[in-house]
Formats: sequence, C-alpha cells, structure tokens
Amino acid sequence: MNTIMHKLARWMAFLGGTVLLCLVAITCISVLGRILNTVGHYPFVKENIAFLSNLLTKAGPIVGDFELVEAGVAFAIMAFLPWCQLNRAHAAVELFTGFLPKTPNRLLAMFWEILFAAVMVIITWRIYVGTTDKMRYGETTFMLQYPVWWGYAACTIAAGVACIIAIYSAWLHTKDFFDPKQGTDVDKQEIAG
Amino acid sequence: MSGLEIGIYSMPVLLLLIFLRMPIGLAMLVVGLGGTMWITGGSLVVLAKLKNETYSTFSSYSLSIVPLFLLMGQFATLGGMSAALFKAAETWLGHRKGGVAMASVGACAGFGAICGSSLATAATMGQVALPELKKYGYSGGLSTATLAAGGTLGILIPPSVVLVIYAILTEQNIAKLFLAAFIPGLLAAVGYIITISIIMRLNPGNAQLRERIPYGERFKALFDVWPVLLVFFLVVGGIYLGWFTPTEAAAIGAAGTAIIAWINGGLNKIAISDAMLATASNTAMIFIIILGAGFYNSFLALSQVPQEISGFIVEQGFNPWLVLVIVLCLYLIFGCVMDSLSMILLTVPIFFPIISVLDFGLTPEETAIWFGILVLIVVEVGLITPPVGMNLFVINAMDRTTRIVETYRNVLPFVVSDILRTAILVAFPGITLMLLRLFY
Repeated sequence: MNTIMHKLARWMAFLGGTVLLCLVAITCISVLGRILNTVGHYPFVKENIAFLSNLLTKAGPIVGDFELVEAGVAFAIMAFLPWCQLNRAHAAVELFTGFLPKTPNRLLAMFWEILFAAVMVIITWRIYVGTTDKMRYGETTFMLQYPVWWGYAACTIAAGVACIIAIYSAWLHTKDFFDPKQGTDVDKQEIAG
Repeated sequence: MSGLEIGIYSMPVLLLLIFLRMPIGLAMLVVGLGGTMWITGGSLVVLAKLKNETYSTFSSYSLSIVPLFLLMGQFATLGGMSAALFKAAETWLGHRKGGVAMASVGACAGFGAICGSSLATAATMGQVALPELKKYGYSGGLSTATLAAGGTLGILIPPSVVLVIYAILTEQNIAKLFLAAFIPGLLAAVGYIITISIIMRLNPGNAQLRERIPYGERFKALFDVWPVLLVFFLVVGGIYLGWFTPTEAAAIGAAGTAIIAWINGGLNKIAISDAMLATASNTAMIFIIILGAGFYNSFLALSQVPQEISGFIVEQGFNPWLVLVIVLCLYLIFGCVMDSLSMILLTVPIFFPIISVLDFGLTPEETAIWFGILVLIVVEVGLITPPVGMNLFVINAMDRTTRIVETYRNVLPFVVSDILRTAILVAFPGITLMLLRLFY
C-alpha cells in the first residue's frame, strides 16, 4: 500500500514536472519567434537584406501561449500536491509543539491530516462543479478558443489523486496515533520513502 | 458580532492554530472560509468562491513565475556553477584575513543572481564551501553561520520569489522591485564581509592565510562565471528592458540554467527527477499558502479590518517612522518562528494598507517599493534567527561535527549586521530608491 501510494505521488509529480518543462519550452520558442519577427521588421533589415526579412517575418510568437501556460501550470501545481502531502512538506510552525511529548504531537498530526483531507475533498468537489459549469456554458479562452473546461477537468483529475493521497496520509497518521507500537511510525516511513 | 469583530477575533484564533502546528496554508484557508461563512451567514458565498478561486489561483499567469523560478533554482544547483563562483571569489578574496569565509559570501551573492531561493543557495554553496572552510581551519560554527547568512543573499539579490509574491500582493511592478533590491542586496554582501573581517580580527582562531594569486589567474577564474552573468542579465535585464514578461523571463532562466547544467554534465536522469521532486514539493507548499492566504485576505477585506486599522492609525496621528519601525520589529519577532513566505502572505495585506497611508515624503509607488525591500530584508533575517531559522538547519545538517548551538552563537554578528543595514535603509530611503530614480 505504502509503495503504491508513494509511486502514485511520485509519478504525479513527474507528470506535473514534465508539463512544467513543456511550458518552459513553449514559452522560450514563443519568445524566440517574437524576437526573430521583430528583427525582421527592423527598417535596416527590411531595406538591405530583403530575403532575410521575408524569412524572419514568417516567424512569430506562439498565439495564445499564455493560455497554455495558465492551463498547464494549474494542472502541474495540483499534480505536485500529493508529493508535498506525503512528504509532509507543508509549512508549519513546529517550535511550540516541539516541547510537547510524542502522543499529543501525534494527535495533532492526525487531526490536521484529517482536516486537510476533508478540505481537499471539498475543493475537488467544487472544482468538479466548476468544470460542469464551464462545460454547460461552453466558455472558451480568448485567443486559442479552446473550451475553458478542459483546464478545469485536468485540474479535477489531479485534485482527485491529491484527495486519494490526502486520505491515505490521514489514515496513516490515524493508525500511527492509535497504534504507535506497530512500527508504523510515520516519520520513519517518510524518510524511508 | 459585527463583521469587524469577527475579523479581529480571527487573528488570535489563526495564530493559535498555526502555533499548534496546523499547516499554515490550511489554517488560513479554514479560518478564512469559516469567517466568511459567519459574516455572510451561510455557505453560499463560500461554495461559489471555492468553485472558481482554486483554479484561478493555480492558473494565474503572474503566479506561474513561482514554479518557474523554483525550477530555475533547482537547475542552477545542478549546473556546477557553484564551484566556479566559489573559485572566482576565492582567488580574489582568499588571501585576506577570513578570506575563504568572505569568498563564500561572495559566491553566495553570485549564486543568488540566478537563484531566487535562500534555502537552495545555502544548500548548494554549503556543499562547495564547507569542505574548503574546514580545510583552511575555520571553526565549525563560523563556517556554518557564514553560509547560513550568505544563503539569505539568494532572496535578497534578484530574482527573488518573495519579491514576486510581494509585487503581486501589492500590485507593484516586478521590474522596479528587482531593480530596487539590487543595492540593498550588495550592501548585505558587503556587510557580511565586514562582519567576517571584524570577527577574524577579534578572534583569529586557527584559520590559515593563503598566498596571493596572480591577477591573470584571478581574471581567468572570473571569466569562468560568464554563464551566471549571462543568465542573470537575460532574466533580470530582460524584464527590466521590457523584452519579456516576468513569466517569460523565468522560463528563459529555467531553460538557461538547464542548458548550463547540461553542458557541465550535471543533467542526468536522477538529477532531473530530483529537481522535479524538489520543485514539486516547494511549489505545492507555496501554492497551498497562497490559496489559503487568498481566502483569508478576502475574508479580512470583507470584515473591513485592514481599512479600519489603517484609518485608526492615521486618525491617531502616530509618527509614521515609529509605526514603520514597530511593523519591522514585528516581522523580526515573527521571523524567529515562521517562514518568510507565510509571513509575507499573512501580514502584508494588513500592514501594507497602513504603511501606504502614512507620509514618508515619498510618492506612493516609492513608498510601496521601499517598504517591500525593507520587508524582504527583515523576513530574510528570520531565516537566520535562532531558534527557527531554516538556513541554520539546512547548513547545520550538512556539517555533522558542529552542534546547532555553535551555529546559533556564531550567526549573531551576522544578524547584527542585518539589523544595522535595515536601520540604514530605513533612515535613508534614497539608497534603496537610487537606481529606480536613475532609470525610470
């Protein structure tokens, strides 16, 4: 179970990372196209090196690249959540609870993980409702004219995985609180994973 | 209870939850949603908000700079540039008293120019510089403290993730903020170098001196860092000259550092997957805080708390400078227990309206930028103030032989240098705004 969940979270992170790398590539190509195009339109180039100008002005920025960035980055961030959750990388103030013994700390950890899972489920449900809304209204993006719900739907799927991982993590911490002797000490497991 | 009261009471509740180790983003989200439900008397508004706000926050074009800068920082750590930077700084400074430590600071400053994160800067330079410092006989505490302090140059010297967030929160121009951060960042590096020099004079220990290196070799080492300069000028210069949007510049920076890493042979399968996972962790962490802060801040705005507080302060006619100093001191105190981004997202929506109505003899934009740089510096001090300073932990974990108490003790002179610099920048806003006034 542990390895399956870890693999799932890892692969989601890789998927998100790959999307992010694609966005980097798209943006760079777009910028390059825009620069070439601008150079092609310089009066000096136009008048003196006509063939180069013709060639350069054929290049241009990718139309609506920022819309791809927006949809892609939303998916990537959602896909990054499971990995963050499983590694307990969320920012928290640990100074004051550090003075408490292990049991209350485990109780708190369990409590916050359950709450996190609950919030994650609500968020996923609402993004899903948002998806169906956008689908119903047939809203499209401004430049590329692709349906807005595509981005929402991709985000919903990633959020679904984040839910699974959040619930799993909540279960781990619950088990850890009620049965700490079983050797399922969550902190140790995370280092191993 | 009125909306205003709900807003005010929400603050201690939120702090209590955070101090009980509730993830900060989650705490702001839950309190923000709960408070909004209480004020609006039902779940309708909250549910409607949740439907679109999560997606619109995650898909924000301006916020997409954050994961791109994080990716850039990750690639920068793979590129082998840290070694070249250290060598360049060391050939120039190494023969002075405390020279190797000074070189570490200089190299951190250079690395900060292509990396927007302090932890990554501290960790990367630590790997290169710690063994060298040990070799020349510097004490463990001084070594770790120097690198922890040097690491803060990662966010001080643009590009900087924290400044991006501040710019978005306060609707300021990112290019201008980056430009304004430049001189304070250099002052920080100079301040740390002076601090090291004073420490070495008071307490020479057994740090050895090294021989001078001929100028030919120095310039050669300096020349070897050209990829860093190229990426820095493309990213920061490109934004400033209006060649690219900040998001485009971040993408180009990520591609640039990736190419450097590839040329230097640092880009294998394991390295890429590690870079992705680290980017994933940090991005998700930051965006959960941003999401939570978005809900909490719109709740605060609904409750009218920021407007009422800033109105109250103007009405009372407090001295603007006193208010500013108190605000900055609050940041220093919070910085002892909280991380910098959470602090910015939690407090800027409350403090910024206050500062922006006070009269410091500057234009509103200048005030906003000056305050942004000051906040950047004081939250960065939080990274090296005991007991909870992330940089101290990161560096100390890399050096098994030095106890954390040693690091704590040795970092104090650097904290003093930070506070002195903050005082100077508060007293003379012109230092921060100099480049801005020159170029705009």
